Amino acid sequence: MVQSEYILNLENISKAFGPIRAVDGVSLSVRRGSIAGLIGPNGSGKSTLFNVISGTEGKFSGSVVFDGKRINGMPSHKIFALGLGRTFQTPRLFTGMTVLENVMLAGKRQEGENPLIAPFPERWESGEEDLARRAQEQMKALEISQLYEKNSSEISGGQMKLLQLANVLIGDPKMLLLDEPTAGVAPRLAQDIFASIEKHCRETGTTFFIIEHRLQVLFKHVDHVFVMHQGRIISEGKPDEIVKNQEVIDAYLGE
Amino acid sequence: MVDLIDLVATFATFYGIYAILAISLNLEYGYAGQPNFGQVLFYGIGAFVAAIAAANLLPLFARLPIGNICNVHTSFPVRLAIGSNDPGIAIPVWIIGLVLAMIAGGILGLFLSYPAIRVKEEWYLSMILLVAAEAFVTIFQNTPQLACGIFGLDGIQNPFYWVSNTYSNSSFASTELGFDLPGIIYAAIIMAFAGICYLVAQKLANSPYGRLLKSVRDDKVAAESLGKDVAKVRRQIMIIGSIMAGLAGGLYVFYIGVAVTDDYVPAVTFTIWVMMILGGYANNKGVLAGAAALTLLQRGSVEVSLILQASFPGFSSNVLIYLEYVAEAVILILLLMYRPKGLIPETRIETKAYQLFDFRKRDTPDPSSKQETQETTDVSDSKGKSASSNIDENVAR
Repeated sequence: MVQSEYILNLENISKAFGPIRAVDGVSLSVRRGSIAGLIGPNGSGKSTLFNVISGTEGKFSGSVVFDGKRINGMPSHKIFALGLGRTFQTPRLFTGMTVLENVMLAGKRQEGENPLIAPFPERWESGEEDLARRAQEQMKALEISQLYEKNSSEISGGQMKLLQLANVLIGDPKMLLLDEPTAGVAPRLAQDIFASIEKHCRETGTTFFIIEHRLQVLFKHVDHVFVMHQGRIISEGKPDEIVKNQEVIDAYLGE
Repeated sequence: MVDLIDLVATFATFYGIYAILAISLNLEYGYAGQPNFGQVLFYGIGAFVAAIAAANLLPLFARLPIGNICNVHTSFPVRLAIGSNDPGIAIPVWIIGLVLAMIAGGILGLFLSYPAIRVKEEWYLSMILLVAAEAFVTIFQNTPQLACGIFGLDGIQNPFYWVSNTYSNSSFASTELGFDLPGIIYAAIIMAFAGICYLVAQKLANSPYGRLLKSVRDDKVAAESLGKDVAKVRRQIMIIGSIMAGLAGGLYVFYIGVAVTDDYVPAVTFTIWVMMILGGYANNKGVLAGAAALTLLQRGSVEVSLILQASFPGFSSNVLIYLEYVAEAVILILLLMYRPKGLIPETRIETKAYQLFDFRKRDTPDPSSKQETQETTDVSDSKGKSASSNIDENVAR
């Protein structure tokens, strides 16, 4: 099968909350294997757009095509199974579980998730060991492996961001939507997060689509930037083109 | 001595039944976060289905006319006679009754899961189930065609009742035994069932399925976004929990001898909740401990009030029964204030995955892991500065 150049195609997406049009006719395409950024002022509809794509927002108009499949109206667990993962602006972790359990949750093909098979460990234990090994590699890469038996509510805010990334990466998504992966994180760690995102992208071909306000670090790593303002895409292009765009400066960047 | 044996058997019977109920509630709420305030419904439906099955099947298997199962003068003595004399009928009927009780619990759980899962907030679910349990009581009370209405379906005998007949007439023991041998056998069987339920719950909890349940409990949206079919999991665990509760109902009705709606009031649900909270939710050992404590309290107050009633003719046995509810409430309040996680708090999900990590931890002089710890200290150090440096960054722009 010939894969198309774009992994995600949005066509004329609109989402209104009562009289407010949070997303207003957005059309965009994200190139396979690239890192794309989505920037814009607060309340410009970036997170709503992510919620629409990942299926957590309910009804909306327009069409979302991911990897050649129309995914409008699919429940979000099916969208994840197709290979489109996401993180949330404030980390949504499983706070009653340890860090390791958090990371292992989204592992694919876990036979022990069937209640009829779960009571027979010999049926799923080898898969569990493989998954644990992969989880360990993932956690080492993000430098959280030493936290493995800590409860996920006991770790620091920056570590929570990293853990959330590990949670979704373990499911081998083809594309990841990251909603402010470095919000509330120290500058050095923010750079580390972006460095590991870029490394992961180049090594595995995973596509990233990232909402971020920390533009310096974002622009260093992205291939393409979309700018959103009042629910619309007002500009797109390479980072160095965007910073010169007068409309973007007026709406978002300021002087 | 003989009294003590019977006392222990009675305690074991109640303990086993409460333990099964507490384990099933713990699976539903402790692990999966489904606040089932209608647990008694599944317990009750199990009891009534088992009783109705026994009342119909005992005469059927003995090739006698079934007639009106509620008639105390005709069908009642027939059931007792078959149950006391014919193990070849009594035991199969009991087993069929238990199986039907489990199936009924499971099917009811499946049906109720549809409206229950549609609601987003799980506390609405708890209200739906609470009301459903009340409706169940009202329906059974006012529909005598189902199970004899408010009088209940009586004459459901211990399936091992024939044992005492056999032995008291044999040369092995020519006189009456003096203690309730069928009761002791049945208590042991109930304890065995409780043990099986505990093992099943432990196996489910310490597996990828346990992880799945806890993820649904902790954050449904996040679990869904990580590829977990949350609605399916909620439905599954409601069915599993309801099957166990139905089993408890079936076991109980063959012990107590009558299926009557008074035994399946919301107070039972709340007693089970206190057991679970006391023991420690999401910990199966904990709920066993909680069930033991509350069973002791409950049976203790019954026994003490029986003794007091014998010594003081004017004493009302209700006093201690009510005091027991007061004690439950006090336990609950004290727990939530001083030990909200229960006697034995939740633990990690014990699978082979931890071996990989625990092994590394035991290698103490490992330079790489030392380095890792240092790096995290760096991270947490610089975190304090993050707020101010964020501002700097913004100002710079």
